[in-house]
Amino acid sequence: MKKVYVAMAMLLVLGACSEKKKLPILGNRAAVERLIDGKLQIDTLYATVADFSLTNQDGKTITQETVKGKIYIADFFFASCPTICPIMKKQMIRVFEKYKGDTGILFLSHTIDPEHDTIALLKDYATRLGSDGTQWMFLTGEREQIYELAEKGYYATALPDSLEPGGYVHSGGFILVDGQRRVRGIYNGTDEKEVDQLMLDMDLLKNEQ
Amino acid sequence: MRSITFLCLLFLFSCSDSELVDLKNISHGAELYKNYCSNCHQMDGSGLAQLIPPLYQSDYLTENAGALPCIIKNGLKGKIRVGSNSYTLAMPAVRNLSREDVKDICVYVLQKFPKTPIVIADSVLKNTHKNCP
Repeated sequence: MKKVYVAMAMLLVLGACSEKKKLPILGNRAAVERLIDGKLQIDTLYATVADFSLTNQDGKTITQETVKGKIYIADFFFASCPTICPIMKKQMIRVFEKYKGDTGILFLSHTIDPEHDTIALLKDYATRLGSDGTQWMFLTGEREQIYELAEKGYYATALPDSLEPGGYVHSGGFILVDGQRRVRGIYNGTDEKEVDQLMLDMDLLKNEQ
Repeated sequence: MRSITFLCLLFLFSCSDSELVDLKNISHGAELYKNYCSNCHQMDGSGLAQLIPPLYQSDYLTENAGALPCIIKNGLKGKIRVGSNSYTLAMPAVRNLSREDVKDICVYVLQKFPKTPIVIADSVLKNTHKNCP
């Protein structure tokens, strides 16, 4: 009888150990039927960020292949933005400094004003923020593609608005994406506490992968 | 004797009065700074990396204190040097601010950030604002 109790206690401990905190997977999911070994199985299909093709501050093409298998943080900004961007960038620098040199982590900052934010301007912007452009990249591309990526891929808003200082309204979110291009968290990039949480969650995600 | 007492009293009152006004203006300036300036220059005046210049202990600010009302009113374009760094990002003009508001921001900024606080008379600040290019 005693042995049974001991065994049960051990199982309990084991169970507690293996149940690690996991980040949620955001977005719609769909059930798909798959034939595996001749048997029909139901699989969950998670929402992922769609394929993309953008250009970075060095004129290099950046696609979903660039981020394959890597954790990355996406955000949206424009260089002449007088409102929330500088606050977000101050916070992003904190995160960047913490994970600088970690080859499994990338930072993608997308301009929502591609007409004004030329590649040369983005290069200068990156350098001034302390990025050499390899781990923290500044991306531009077709306006429509960026806006659709923001809205559908990263659940962020980005819209031209003539009433807004600087001419655009956009969300101040930092979007955390895992190695399978699934969004795992959205954090207010103007809020120091939320950015602290983002860094905790990044560590959690690193352990998961 | 009576007139001296009277003068002393007058002096006392005038002194505390203007100090009261000063404090009120500074806190008004601080509030405006928070709303219109701190996004970029940050509450502590540290700026942002090498993109947005600091105000805190900025030699540029000290040297251009007299032009501050116009910098706020018109914005600033072109390269400037602050300490050993140069900055090129344009500063947008801050719209919707009255002459009084701009004056209060100047008073706050010039008290708070230079190594030694800079005092410029309110009338001078307002007059500068009026005659900006």
